[in-house]
Amino acid sequence: MTAVIADNLPAFVIIVPLFAGVVLPVFARRQRLVEGLVVLAEAAGLAGVGFLAYIVFTHRGTDWVYQMGGWPAPWGIELTVNSLAVFFLFAVMAVSLPIALFTMGNLKDEVGSNKRTARFYTLFLLLVGSLAGMALANDLFNTYVLVEVATLSCCGLVSSRGTPRAAEAAFTYLVLATLASSLVVIGIGFIYVTTGHLNMGFASQGLAQAWQDRPHVVWLAISFVLVGFGLKSALFPLHVWLPDAHSSAPSPASAVLSGLAVKGYMICLLKFLYVVFGPALMKEFSVDRILVLAGMAAIICGAVMALPQDDLKRRLAFSTVSQVGYIYLGFGLMDENGLAGALFYLASHAAIKSTLFLSAGAMIASAGKKKISEMAGIGRKMPLTAAAFTAASLGLIGIPMFSGFIGKWYLIAGSLDTGDFLPTVIIIAGSVLCAAYLFPVIRAMWFETPQKAKQESTVQQECKTAVQHAAEHMPAGPGVPREVRVKDPGAAQKLALILLTAVIFVLGVVPGPFIELARSAAAELLMLR
Amino acid sequence: MRDFILKRVAAVILPFVCVYGFYVIFHGHISAGGSFAGGIIVGLSYIAFSTIYGIKKGRAKMPDKVLTWAESFGTLWYGIMGMVGISRGVPFLANKLAGVDLGVPGALFSGGLIFYIGLGVGIRVASTMITIFFTLMEDDRENAA
Repeated sequence: MTAVIADNLPAFVIIVPLFAGVVLPVFARRQRLVEGLVVLAEAAGLAGVGFLAYIVFTHRGTDWVYQMGGWPAPWGIELTVNSLAVFFLFAVMAVSLPIALFTMGNLKDEVGSNKRTARFYTLFLLLVGSLAGMALANDLFNTYVLVEVATLSCCGLVSSRGTPRAAEAAFTYLVLATLASSLVVIGIGFIYVTTGHLNMGFASQGLAQAWQDRPHVVWLAISFVLVGFGLKSALFPLHVWLPDAHSSAPSPASAVLSGLAVKGYMICLLKFLYVVFGPALMKEFSVDRILVLAGMAAIICGAVMALPQDDLKRRLAFSTVSQVGYIYLGFGLMDENGLAGALFYLASHAAIKSTLFLSAGAMIASAGKKKISEMAGIGRKMPLTAAAFTAASLGLIGIPMFSGFIGKWYLIAGSLDTGDFLPTVIIIAGSVLCAAYLFPVIRAMWFETPQKAKQESTVQQECKTAVQHAAEHMPAGPGVPREVRVKDPGAAQKLALILLTAVIFVLGVVPGPFIELARSAAAELLMLR
Repeated sequence: MRDFILKRVAAVILPFVCVYGFYVIFHGHISAGGSFAGGIIVGLSYIAFSTIYGIKKGRAKMPDKVLTWAESFGTLWYGIMGMVGISRGVPFLANKLAGVDLGVPGALFSGGLIFYIGLGVGIRVASTMITIFFTLMEDDRENAA
């Protein structure tokens, strides 16, 4: 039994979340069972990825190729287990498990009814399954199908609150994401026409031979794929849909969208560029310079746009636009350190942004306030949540001991390796800007006192204490002031926040094995090995 | 609804439409069409029934619970068929490798597992079509009221 599971693990990592998600609507009435199934599927996924990582570490240098249905490569569909796939799978599972934990018990407050909760979980698991598939698929068309599954799940997740604003954001996202999908599929079509293959390895060989005969077709293919995935992963000039979509979704959905979904498309683009087109073609068509330029623009512009936002979730969403830039910058450096740094930064940002969105969501749900200016003093009422938010913010800025630092360190090392001075400056400037838009939130949470309390006289305060005392012993009703109920969320939510913060710390303090995995993935992609 | 002719004609035709849908599903591997096209035809027969006889009667024929189960287990059926390969020690979705009898080419039972997988996909597609139709009709009524 164990051997059977181990032999088919690449398939199981994809199909367990997918089919678990599909079966959930049947149990929509039984909330506990649904939550249990989701967490079980996630935990099984994480365990499976752990085993895959063990295999990759022990069989260094050889990819494990799993043939679906037993059909060999040019005809059949392959799943490839290599350092890149395992690295991204690990990020997906290690981040989505805490997010699933966070939703336990309180998702109904976010989305409405039990039926909606089951729908949310179905979409969530479909998204996780398709992300796992994107990491493993070694086939152009299957990658496209998985991208479509992920896109549609994302649209559902954005609209899962059912408010008009969410519906509008979801519709904008749907239109733009569908446009992006069609660009990608046209790009794949060009590759197929040129080479006659859909398998990534064979297509790559075909392109290496055929591109000189038909350079324009290959150039078109690269452009379509680049713009398609750039639009999907909110690369700077194409980010317009992201702030609305990510800020109007329920916070667990924002966490998974900003933390993981965007990263999935980046991994797809990475595979298209490095595995299918190859580093030589990328240099030939100067895709690397486009990526570096777009990345630098994204870092600065995203951060500048985040600065004036007073809505906390919107500020975090614009911050994602900025952080996406770092990863694209690393993709464009075409250097082992830079690429490893980008991959590490991708995983680190997945954990950090999920923590930020989840803790922000907990604060918004508890205090009933969305604006940063209204959050004064919330840190003393919700110490654990605010602490998680602070730790994640420090990680995002790139303070040593937190995961963001290691990623930025390697990105800077990579940009210095290439001899280009500008990316280094931009990375550091981006960190300063990041501090500029996150420190005010931290200051408001910990060091500011609410405006009202300042103006109140002692008598008023005594009255208020009496009211609070009475309120604590009464069931909460419309007459009770809302602030009384501001406190840390339940046990599952606390556990989720602690787990995610632990991931940020572990990545920052003992980055060794992860950086090694990222470096070997980078070496594989750059064909240095 | 007093369209006597429409109702009588539908009563005669729709059962055949439904059966034809299943025919297309089951002959997916040896003729044009397939489980997706067949599933849509099956779903269409119910959608036509609900438009002609009224949503209430249509819903009574296909309660929500049945639709949810059909949707979920149509897909799960695909997964279970994939597991046949794994249970025989070969990869997911293996067909001939898993030792399934492929039969005589051109005969109805000649695709091995494809026949059964097609049934799952067909059920899934049909139930999804009906669900989409009912959801659209429901929203329409809510907006009108």
